[in-house]
Amino acid sequence: MTTKARAHLRKAGMLASIAAAALIGLAPMAASSADAVKLNFWDMIWGPPEYIDAAKELVGEFNKQHPEIQVEYRSVPWNNWYQTFVTAISSGTAPDISTGAGYQAVQLYDQGAIRPIDDVIAELKADGELDDFLPNTVDTLRYDDHYVALPWGIDIRVWFYRKDLLEQAGVKVPTTWEELRAAAKATTKDGKYGIVASGDTGGSHFLYNAILNNGGGLFTADRKLDLKNDRNMEAFEALAAMVADGSVSPASTGYNSDDRRAAFNRGQAAFTLDGPGLIAQAGAEAKNIGVLPPLAGPHGDKATIFWVNNIMVYEQTKHPDEVKTFLKWWSKNQLPLWTKGNTGQLPTRKSIAADKAIKDDVARAYVLDNYVPIGKTTATNASGIFPALNDVEGEGAMQSFAQELWQGKPVGPIVDTAETRLKSILKE
Amino acid sequence: MTVQPRLAGETGSWRASARSWYASGDALPFLLLAPSIVLMLAVIAYPMLTGFMYGFSTGTLLKPGKFVGLDNYLRLLQSPDFLHALWFSLLFAIFNVIGCYVLGLALALLMNQDVPFRGFFRVALLLPWIVPSIVSIVSWRWMMADQHALFNQIIGAFGGSPIYFLSDQNWAIAAVIVIKIWRSFPFMMLSLLAALQGIDRSLYEAAALDGASRWNQLRYVTMPQLRNISIVLCLLMTIWTVNDFDTPWLLTQGGPANATENLVLLAYRYTFGRNDVGLGSAVSFITLIILMALVVVMLRRQRER
Repeated sequence: MTTKARAHLRKAGMLASIAAAALIGLAPMAASSADAVKLNFWDMIWGPPEYIDAAKELVGEFNKQHPEIQVEYRSVPWNNWYQTFVTAISSGTAPDISTGAGYQAVQLYDQGAIRPIDDVIAELKADGELDDFLPNTVDTLRYDDHYVALPWGIDIRVWFYRKDLLEQAGVKVPTTWEELRAAAKATTKDGKYGIVASGDTGGSHFLYNAILNNGGGLFTADRKLDLKNDRNMEAFEALAAMVADGSVSPASTGYNSDDRRAAFNRGQAAFTLDGPGLIAQAGAEAKNIGVLPPLAGPHGDKATIFWVNNIMVYEQTKHPDEVKTFLKWWSKNQLPLWTKGNTGQLPTRKSIAADKAIKDDVARAYVLDNYVPIGKTTATNASGIFPALNDVEGEGAMQSFAQELWQGKPVGPIVDTAETRLKSILKE
Repeated sequence: MTVQPRLAGETGSWRASARSWYASGDALPFLLLAPSIVLMLAVIAYPMLTGFMYGFSTGTLLKPGKFVGLDNYLRLLQSPDFLHALWFSLLFAIFNVIGCYVLGLALALLMNQDVPFRGFFRVALLLPWIVPSIVSIVSWRWMMADQHALFNQIIGAFGGSPIYFLSDQNWAIAAVIVIKIWRSFPFMMLSLLAALQGIDRSLYEAAALDGASRWNQLRYVTMPQLRNISIVLCLLMTIWTVNDFDTPWLLTQGGPANATENLVLLAYRYTFGRNDVGLGSAVSFITLIILMALVVVMLRRQRER
């Protein structure tokens, strides 16, 4: 055999090997593709480690019931969540479906990445299933005349108090902002403070809670910034007065939410504002912690900040019908996320909220009954939500505002600074 | 009809030249370098070029906006946030470079002596550099977070009032700088120690014969011998400090009230917090230009000397 012939033979052999390897490699894929549609579901971490196990188990249950659709579960950490999703979308590897925080769906929808679910809402309405959602949840996710996501969980901020510290100070549980100020002052002693706040995103929630509780809001009805309206200014002054009283822990500016929660759980402050999961995560201290009733503002208003967390479908999905099937199934069958996963979220479905496991958690049931109906979004007083809210909350202007407020700086100049920054974000 | 043969001829001649170049062996180095060059173009040049283009436009990472020329750069120059971040970056770099150089040099000189447990100390002093930033900085946070934290316990033991290090602008700036110095000095120490051990001992013997004191030996023998490595180390440390994200982010997230926000944190906030990729890219490029100018000036001065 000549050298040339040997070279040809070697080339042919190599080609044959590559072809065989490709066939062997592709064969099972082809078979499995024919058998089942694969969906990628990215779920944020909505609770303690057992949440992920419960969610995986639930996905397994769906896969068992729907052999024609196989869902792959991926747990997504909150750190850099925006970068995670943006990178995936821009590289064409977005999931088919994901859960996300309050304004994620509307922000990504505005950038062409989210598929509206008007058809799902219409089907749920036709089935009578839409009535199972708590009021003020489904329509919150309507933007640009489309439903951009389906609500699944509610995050809300409520005031918590230390029973032991109030008892020691001989103070009754406050029901108004005026009483809260007096109680915070009375419990500030012996190195302990009335209120502990934080300087991170959680710190800005104190501001949102205060302005909404006073009948104010960040926006006008036509989505223009309205930071300096009378009700908002009155609320900021009320918080500043508590700082001036010396009732707010001086460490608040430098604390993040974990530090704040730890200080509160250690009994270093009598009041804090947090999510409904605080008591469940307080361990042995849970017995010393209670939920305040919704406080009445100076004009009698009652409200707090809440976010309707949601589940959304991506434009990049190649299987919209199968995604729809999974979305509806997940929404209806997600009770184990609470019973096994111990998520700190509140359910958006009445049927889940009525479950014994939820009702038996006294604090959570109290929040569901008393706080959720008065929950308002950052968009208040505009209707619905809109994309800029994510930037407003994420940019840090309100965090800086809170940090300077806890430092005891005068309200006027710090509101001016915050307004300038917010206007720049909103391009007003 | 007349064009085709000419093109074919040219192609043939091009191929022939390529073949002869390949056969001569001159192509081999280029072929060996090609994968690295392609990789560098893909992971460095392309993102840099894309980022540069973003700086002249509006929009987000997902939704490109319109071309706005130098508008983002002009907006930045009028922005108090940017001017503050620029000021803090300079302050951070100057104090850290001086702090970690002085500390690193002092410890290197000490470790160059025949001190007891020298081996142990050499390893122990490297720990701040080895420990992951998330672990070390979170530990620092615990030690200074509030009135019950370790530092305030110590201050309290001496009768002082608690200091809220992370709640006050000035203290937070000092804390970020101190922690950065603590994280940086081991590298300085290690590099300077290596340089010290390379100095010819006969220079010291000659200086001693001339009656030079220990101080004069340090001033006239050691420091001139360390000059070149010191310039390189200070340059590297300046670049690493200006580009440091971990220390201010993990300690203060740039707060309180943006007091510890450097240019890198500002670029991050504009790009991902405000979702304004044009403004974020503009910050990044101004940072790059400042650093490149610094490197060019320093290297030119070094060459002149």
